[in-house]
Amino acid sequence: MAVVVIMIFGSCNSNDDGSYTPPITLYEKVNGSWTLTNLKMVDEFAKANGIEPNEQNIGSWFNYDTFQMNLEVNDQNEPTTYEVLGDVPLLFPPSGYWRLSTDFQLTTPHPAKIFLYDDAQRTQLLETLNVTSVPGSNNQMEVQLQRISGGAPFITYIFKLTSN
Amino acid sequence: MKKIFYILIMMVFSSMFHSLSAQEEVGTIGDIWSYPVIYNYDEEVTWYFDLSTTSFSPEEEVYIWIWSPSEPDAGNWENSSEFAHLTNEGNMIWSFTLTPTEYFSMTAEDIAASAGFWFRLKDQAGTKQTDVANVSYTPFNSFYTADEMIRSYPTEPTFTDGLSILFNSNLVAGFEDATSVHFHSGLNDWEVLQEYQAWIPEIVEKTKLKDLGNGFYKMDLIPNVYYDTAPDGYIMNNIVFLFVKDDWAGTSPNLVLNAAEYVPPPPAEFRYFPMQISQKDIFGLIRVNNEQGVNALNYTITGGSTTLTGQFTGGVSEIKGFVDLATGLQNEANLNQIHVVVTDNLGNTISDTIITLKTLD
Repeated sequence: MAVVVIMIFGSCNSNDDGSYTPPITLYEKVNGSWTLTNLKMVDEFAKANGIEPNEQNIGSWFNYDTFQMNLEVNDQNEPTTYEVLGDVPLLFPPSGYWRLSTDFQLTTPHPAKIFLYDDAQRTQLLETLNVTSVPGSNNQMEVQLQRISGGAPFITYIFKLTSN
Repeated sequence: MKKIFYILIMMVFSSMFHSLSAQEEVGTIGDIWSYPVIYNYDEEVTWYFDLSTTSFSPEEEVYIWIWSPSEPDAGNWENSSEFAHLTNEGNMIWSFTLTPTEYFSMTAEDIAASAGFWFRLKDQAGTKQTDVANVSYTPFNSFYTADEMIRSYPTEPTFTDGLSILFNSNLVAGFEDATSVHFHSGLNDWEVLQEYQAWIPEIVEKTKLKDLGNGFYKMDLIPNVYYDTAPDGYIMNNIVFLFVKDDWAGTSPNLVLNAAEYVPPPPAEFRYFPMQISQKDIFGLIRVNNEQGVNALNYTITGGSTTLTGQFTGGVSEIKGFVDLATGLQNEANLNQIHVVVTDNLGNTISDTIITLKTLD
């Protein structure tokens, strides 16, 4: 009888220990190598004042067909370095360190942000990218770089990316 | 009233007379026009008739039987005279060249007072005839007192049709005592030229205006014939010209006639994109509705000690390009403005301006 009881409880303990699966973090979705499918430039001042044109597609200009952005993580899915490859305009520094504003996708309308840093300690912020479309099963991501002066945005660059 | 009565009587008479002879009615003349477009009655003119609307054959020998203002071939209905014989121009167009005062043996004043030019076209034997028709006449006497430097007929010329331009030299200083006046001109803003080359006799003659007396002149031409270097199908937007006295002893102002085919394009529009920039941005130059011949924009952008230059090409609808300020000005610290100069391929300055750069938060 005692042996039977021990076997039953022992069996229950074994099932609890092995069933935990941590939730998927945003880092798992965002990290990797991304190439450009489209780059749009929005004139926020013109748009706010109803002036046309207020958008231009510039992905076919310069060498944006060679654009590639790598967001590296370590084996714990923690962010390490980033780099931009391709002979393209230096809209933001082409290399450094990165992290996200949140580990998990937010349910609020505020997009997650990719912070770009000059140093591994992440004290020197270089630029901020808004993740306006989070990668899903289609492996597409949209990030926006916004120029702001006096608190008012005047240009938004919208990068449509696809993972390699 | 008297004129109308006369016409009616003649039309009834004409109808009765020829119905007795059992003529074949060939139909109505399609179109009638003249060259020169306007003319005095003592001036040679050619009338053109489009008979494609009639049952005349393409090889028909066609004659005119005209009874107003007079009837030169009276009594010869069944055997028209050679002087009434039209010229077959092909494509169902026939022409008849005459000097009205001579053909009708009348003074210009009498012709002007008549009922006008009323006629039928017919075969020589009078077995076929068109409906009664009229060659309309465009008087231009009002120009002599209108105080206008020029007047054209039609007001908007076409490439393949006749054009008459009247010129009142009394309104242009320096044209007194001119022995001749000449037409120095081109199509589409001087793209196709017929200059007044005073040292070439045949050009002197070709460009010479008809002297109407008292300082008034007339130029007659058909653009696709006169500008013989213009290719077939040329799209004529305008005729630009000036009048020249003698051997360039005086000139009128530059003048222009816009063609009937000409649809004025919307004005050219240039803008920078975006409207506000920092030195870390991409900077666009856009120009739409460009003038004919403008197909490139050259830019020079100076920021600090750095100068960026380049060229963008395009066409009439748009010339557009983007400059990478972010990379080009990366060695300039904290610029607060740039100087931008944009010119077109014809050397015109499109923009020369200082643009204040936004400071990023």
